[in-house]
Amino acid sequence: MKLLSTLLVLLGCALLAGCAPVAAWERGTLARPEMAFESDALEGALDDHIYFSKEASSGGNSTSGGGCGCN
Amino acid sequence: MELRMKMPKLLQTLPLLILSALPLSAHAVEAGEPAPAFELPLLNEAGENVSLAELRGKVVYVDFWASWCPPCLVSIPLLNELRDKYVAEGRPFEILAVNVDSDPQAGIEFLLDEPVNYVVASDPVGKTPALYGVPGMPTSYLLDAEGRVRLVHEGFKRSDIDMIEAEVVKLLEELE
Repeated sequence: MKLLSTLLVLLGCALLAGCAPVAAWERGTLARPEMAFESDALEGALDDHIYFSKEASSGGNSTSGGGCGCN
Repeated sequence: MELRMKMPKLLQTLPLLILSALPLSAHAVEAGEPAPAFELPLLNEAGENVSLAELRGKVVYVDFWASWCPPCLVSIPLLNELRDKYVAEGRPFEILAVNVDSDPQAGIEFLLDEPVNYVVASDPVGKTPALYGVPGMPTSYLLDAEGRVRLVHEGFKRSDIDMIEAEVVKLLEELE
């Protein structure tokens, strides 16, 4: 049991090490339109508008229509 | 009961798990530090290199950009205009752009539509932005004549150009 949990922890560490952030200059593929949840900028802006109206709040979402989130 | 005994042990390992997830981030260059030296091939002229050291003595604006980054593309014509304005006056100012497209052809094609008069280097493997610890795209570094970073500017919106110009003028005046 102890061996199993040790192994699990080690495996967890090894897997977490794979969670490396993508550097800012390596986001060319992520920035492609097909990588966005909503590739239509206008529709994305409309969805945001509805969301903000319902939540009575603004901001916190990513940029609409683009994947790089450069700003 | 058994689970409750085990919980503290699991919790003890939590910091270890969190630590192992932390990235080993490179040092990000900040204002006041000397700009790391680099030498890169030109984007559109095969076989030729440009180095930052060649521009020592001038106020230099180092701009990291990519064709997939919309704010970068907004900045390019404005930077070209700024560069032309001061170079035409004979002021010691130059822009050195570093294109970080993994496929340099994408950068070349963008510049065919939007030509610039300043030097554009190509770094498809990203060793220079890693050296500078570029935090976002675009990021630019304004260097004084001694090669010291005086301003780090992340992101770009149209109105930023006025602030950048003011900083350039300030550094040019220091030289007079």
